[in-house]
Amino acid sequence: MEHPILFISIILEKLGLPIPHGPVGHGFLEQLCAPYMTYTWFVMVFLVVVGKLTLGNIEMIPGKGQNFWELLIGGMYDFFTENMGQELTDKLFPMIATFALYIAVGNLIGLIPGFMSPTASINTTLALTLIVWVTHHIIGIQAHGMAYIKHFLGPIPVLIPLMLPIELISNIARLLSLSIRLFGNIMAKETLLGILFMLAGAYFAPLPIMILGVLVSLVQAMVFVLLTVVYFGQAREHAH
Amino acid sequence: MAKKLSTEMVELLGNYGHIGFTFVAAIFIGLGGGIYLDEHFFDGNTSPWFTFIGLAFGIFAGFKSLFDILRTPAAKKKNRDKKG
Repeated sequence: MEHPILFISIILEKLGLPIPHGPVGHGFLEQLCAPYMTYTWFVMVFLVVVGKLTLGNIEMIPGKGQNFWELLIGGMYDFFTENMGQELTDKLFPMIATFALYIAVGNLIGLIPGFMSPTASINTTLALTLIVWVTHHIIGIQAHGMAYIKHFLGPIPVLIPLMLPIELISNIARLLSLSIRLFGNIMAKETLLGILFMLAGAYFAPLPIMILGVLVSLVQAMVFVLLTVVYFGQAREHAH
Repeated sequence: MAKKLSTEMVELLGNYGHIGFTFVAAIFIGLGGGIYLDEHFFDGNTSPWFTFIGLAFGIFAGFKSLFDILRTPAAKKKNRDKKG
């Protein structure tokens, strides 16, 4: 297959930095210049700059830019409060909202020619998932102390030898399913778009997939955040 | 109206859209754990017993995660109805 044209990689190559030829480079510098890393930084810069530009000085009567952010952040805040309670939302809102914005922008950016979704790499999604997975255990231990282990023991003491491995397996399965679902959906979208561009780009063949891609990008970001919230809420609840 | 419909849709997708993947992931983790125990922990002396035991646990874990997925939204809805 043809290599996609990624403009950040081209600029970095012109600057004399090593660009990896596979998905991941060998040396440290080459790994830093891998496309998913550079586009992650691009999304970060984009979010910071756009936030700064539209929210320069917060006013009592919101203008256009501030209105948009208030709607978005307020909607997310209400949604989190409804699903995992006020206390957890106050503590963890910045983290989860950042994940939501980053994943949504990272997914959508891949639809523009010359850009690549950073979430189309398993490294990015696995990193996000590991943070979520470790955090939900920390929340559980903070909320219940040693009694958190009751979450993994099932309802009846007699069934403990049977339930413990089952609960552990289904807990580790969260790690796998959360990371691979996001990665798989976005990588499939990117690959399909690339192939269609190569085959019939001149006849607008990728257009319907791009429309679907907008939907998939937003839904996958929503699903990731929703599951994160559900896991956090469950870790806090009492064991049944 | 349209907004309510779309949030409901997204909530349903979030709750039920990952059923297939979670089920499969649980089975593969059980199987992988069994194979690891057989080949690396017991150096192949117990092969194929832990593979099968791990597979059985994985399948049970898959069904248990399905059960959890079905139970959680229903319980949440009951709570909400009680409150409202």
